[in-house]
Amino acid sequence: MPQREMVVLTDASLITCVVQKGLADEIVKAAQEGGAQGATIYYGRGTGVRERLGILGLTIEAEKEVITIMVANDQMDRIFEKMYLAGQMDTPGKGFMYVTQLEKAATYVPEEMLEQLVSE
Amino acid sequence: MAREIRFGKYLKEAAAHHDTVSYNDLIPEVQRDAEGRELPVEVTGIKLRAVDVYRLLQPYVTIRVMEQVKAVVPLALYLMLFQMIILRQGVNDSVIITAGLFAVIIGLMFFMEGLKIGLMPFGSSLGTTLPAKSSLPVVLTIAFILGIGVTFAEPAIGALKAAGQVVKVETAPYLYALLNDWSEQLVLVVGIGVGTAAVLGTIRLLYGWSLKPFIYATLTPTILLTVYIQQNEELSKMLGLAWDCGAVTTGPVTVPLVLALGIGIASAAGKGSSSLSGFGIVTLASLFPILGVELLAIYVFYATTPEAIIAAASVGSAEVAAWYTQTPYAEVIGGIRAIVPLVIFLVIVMKLVLREKIHNAGIISYGIALAVIGMVIFSLGLTYGLAMLGNQAGGFIPAAFSEVSSVEGSPLYFFSLGILIALFFAWALGFGATLAEPALNALGITVEQLTNGAFKKSTLMYAVSFGVGCGIAIGVAKIVFDIQIAYLLVGFYAIAIVLTYFSSEEFVNIAWDSAGVTTGPVTVPLVLSMGLGFANAANAIEGFGILSMASIGPIIAVQATGLWINMKVTRKRKKLQPELEAAEI
Repeated sequence: MPQREMVVLTDASLITCVVQKGLADEIVKAAQEGGAQGATIYYGRGTGVRERLGILGLTIEAEKEVITIMVANDQMDRIFEKMYLAGQMDTPGKGFMYVTQLEKAATYVPEEMLEQLVSE
Repeated sequence: MAREIRFGKYLKEAAAHHDTVSYNDLIPEVQRDAEGRELPVEVTGIKLRAVDVYRLLQPYVTIRVMEQVKAVVPLALYLMLFQMIILRQGVNDSVIITAGLFAVIIGLMFFMEGLKIGLMPFGSSLGTTLPAKSSLPVVLTIAFILGIGVTFAEPAIGALKAAGQVVKVETAPYLYALLNDWSEQLVLVVGIGVGTAAVLGTIRLLYGWSLKPFIYATLTPTILLTVYIQQNEELSKMLGLAWDCGAVTTGPVTVPLVLALGIGIASAAGKGSSSLSGFGIVTLASLFPILGVELLAIYVFYATTPEAIIAAASVGSAEVAAWYTQTPYAEVIGGIRAIVPLVIFLVIVMKLVLREKIHNAGIISYGIALAVIGMVIFSLGLTYGLAMLGNQAGGFIPAAFSEVSSVEGSPLYFFSLGILIALFFAWALGFGATLAEPALNALGITVEQLTNGAFKKSTLMYAVSFGVGCGIAIGVAKIVFDIQIAYLLVGFYAIAIVLTYFSSEEFVNIAWDSAGVTTGPVTVPLVLSMGLGFANAANAIEGFGILSMASIGPIIAVQATGLWINMKVTRKRKKLQPELEAAEI
């Protein structure tokens, strides 16, 4: 039996972004234009700024979408910024985002890319 | 030697300006009272820039406006274009109608939003806590009263009152009386029907009974009364209205509120997990009001005489209308009367029965205010937008095949072609309006999950829309050829019952419920007033009955499709059976 291979990626970060339900797709699109490979979105419920906005708080959906995107460290700042701007995070209630450093990650990496990297 | 710069650092400098702030600097300082105990952190408001207010409001408002625009504009455009292109008639009072349609859009937007933040929280907390805290009789009593309350709050109910102004007292005195002098009782009877349906539907969910016997048991007296009413010429003019009332009841207020309570009760008893929970109440809520209105019609028939009604009507019209019956005031009073009693009832139940505090009272009262304002604007738009447009378009349609005094050169087409055009118009109206109904989309998704994909979402949507289209076309044909509606009703419901007998429980539930889903607050007034305008122009006595045909259409269409799918599945299984057995060996 041949030995099975596993590729471990390093220098990766995870961007997590919490926005109102329905807004995630637009932000993911911006991230992908910035070079992100893909995104995972799950649903949640959030409180905080909604209560502080008074009557305007009603315009903010309590249900949230949580976007997580793994990015390479080198593209992290650029994508982080693109997502910030796409989500209009400089407006209260529009959401927040953060980056966590990942120790390692693993997924499918195309064969030809691997060969190229190993030969270098 | 080349200098090394991190790419990320380079980008940071090249793109938007970044400031780095420590989060530690942002947190509020801990406040202590005189004894040195920590005080809870006070939540402070946030100052908003103008652009922030815009950014918050813009998507919020756009989404909600667009929702209603999608419901109103295509239908209205279809009616107007048909009138202009096929019937070659300009739209009269187009400014008033446009303003009216605008009011409908804004009114519905306010109303739905108010409903969501003002009334629905009551519904969901009633549904979850009431069954656990009180005994079954109390719960059922509340369900019954709630059924009446939501009927008054249903926006489409106003369409019935608007329709009353068009009915001619001379030709159909009892119908006129029912819609004018007795209109409050009419709505009350419809409400009692919905309340009864809520009670029975809940009991059914609780014990997991089949829907079929309920359908048989409700339809039998309803059909028998229909036959009885048909015997008398004066009485029979009220039949169309009675059956239409069933379609009016199941709107955006009734369905979620009554369903929330019903499902809550069933799940508190551990019976809510069935995949069919929630179905059936809508069916009963559209059948019982018919029975109620039939009984009221018979009562009115024995209580007064046509002469008395006509006399009263002529006296009434001679008097100067009191201020509270004039346009803006009447709508405002109507809007308040529709919603406030329901709210008071819900608050009393919350306080006295559940003994629960009402959270976010400020936001809830804001929601209720929105709902009332929305209702008022919507009723104005209903009268001047939807009813006027429907009436007008309906009034011009007969010009396609017969002589209408207001249309020059009518009939525009020779008789058979003209009738075909009119029927096709009606069919396409029903088909298109139903397909666009968001509630149908939701039902389609549920059905696809229920049947493990055998009944596709699109199949259901097309089956229901096809059924509604055919129903509306038949309803128009009824007015053109002056067919007695009783024959149509008895015939179609007989077919529906036969299909019900052969269908599986799931499809019976889906089919009978789909009838109620299709009649929203835009379709009902439009179709109702179109029928009345059409009947007036075609010199028919009354123009009701189109909606009732639109309700029975999908029931037959969906059940037939369900049977056909079942047949396909069993045939496939039979075909695969030998192979499966071979595989097992």
